[in-house]
Amino acid sequence: MHISDGVVPTSVWIGSYVVTIGISTICAKKMKAEDMPKMAVMTSAFFVASLIHVPLGPTSVHLILNGLVGIILGPLSFISILVGLTLQSLLFQHGGITVIGVNTITMGIPALFSWKIFNLSQKFRFRLSKIVFGVIAAAFSVFLGTILLSIFLITSGSKFIPVAKYAALAHLPIMIIEGIITGFVISFLMKVKPEILKRG
Amino acid sequence: MKKFFLFLLMIMTSSNIFAHKVTIFAYVVGETVYTESYFSDGTKVKDGEIVVYDRQGNKLLEGKTDKDGLFNFKLPKKDELRIELNATMGHKASYILSFDEIPKEVIEKSEKANIKKTNEEKITQVNLKQIKNIIDDSLDEKLKPVMQQLKKIEEKRISFTEILGGIGYILGLMGIIMYFLSKKKEG
Repeated sequence: MHISDGVVPTSVWIGSYVVTIGISTICAKKMKAEDMPKMAVMTSAFFVASLIHVPLGPTSVHLILNGLVGIILGPLSFISILVGLTLQSLLFQHGGITVIGVNTITMGIPALFSWKIFNLSQKFRFRLSKIVFGVIAAAFSVFLGTILLSIFLITSGSKFIPVAKYAALAHLPIMIIEGIITGFVISFLMKVKPEILKRG
Repeated sequence: MKKFFLFLLMIMTSSNIFAHKVTIFAYVVGETVYTESYFSDGTKVKDGEIVVYDRQGNKLLEGKTDKDGLFNFKLPKKDELRIELNATMGHKASYILSFDEIPKEVIEKSEKANIKKTNEEKITQVNLKQIKNIIDDSLDEKLKPVMQQLKKIEEKRISFTEILGGIGYILGLMGIIMYFLSKKKEG
């Protein structure tokens, strides 16, 4: 889901940097010292996730995990993804330095949405409600990511509908896998450390 | 359900956009430029668009990679070339084939063709040229695996130290933020 350097026009990536910094400063106000260890763990997980290739048929897909980061970190997930993507572009050359803003938006905004979706599980309480909403949130954040990616690719001259269709279909296996992983993580956390999910 | 999985398989075989980074590598053998394109996890770029530009940025030729991510073309110009690969979904990479990477013989050949020689010189020249050509051909053949080896070195894989380093950065950064946040609380 990472866009490379030189794909989107200069005005777009500069604009994306401005938007990213804006959202990050708003989110940074909610930062508390006691959230930091959680944030470090989730940022590391996000950072490494893109290296985990799951062999699926003739090709391999890799995880994004922005949904799970959103569920656990809430508003801090945007900053966590910004840090993760910066390190990915510096150390692995995934994406690029100019497009950190663009990539943070395509993966960070869905993380915020995923947090909001997961919060609905407190309104609609039923058995397994947390897991159900968690799975929906994780799958939806991958889907929203492909939509945002397609919007960015229009600026490089692609047409929206075919690109969006292509991206969404290609990410379908990732949506399923991330939904399953998130479901397992939430059910595990509910047993072991339910307070992690309380705030999120 | 079966149809759905078949459909899924079709999408996955027809394209590869999951890997994050694309790399293109090019080398010259004789007068042919060989390029290889692959994603960071080693899968080849299928049907990737390749466009070749000269030093001034003029488009010289374009083509598509085959199923093994390969694309060959005849050297269009004896100068620096920029080979750009455009895989789908915002994946882009380029390789600059510098002037030094083009074999000297190819450059000299085109220059020498313009110079007229006397008869006597021509005979020795022809003999020399023939020998040279034979050597060149066999050298090209022999160097091909070496070039491929070079390509593999160029193909930088993500190492374990980089992963650990990244995690270290994250922990350090969060530690610094935590320090400042806890100080604020005290004061």
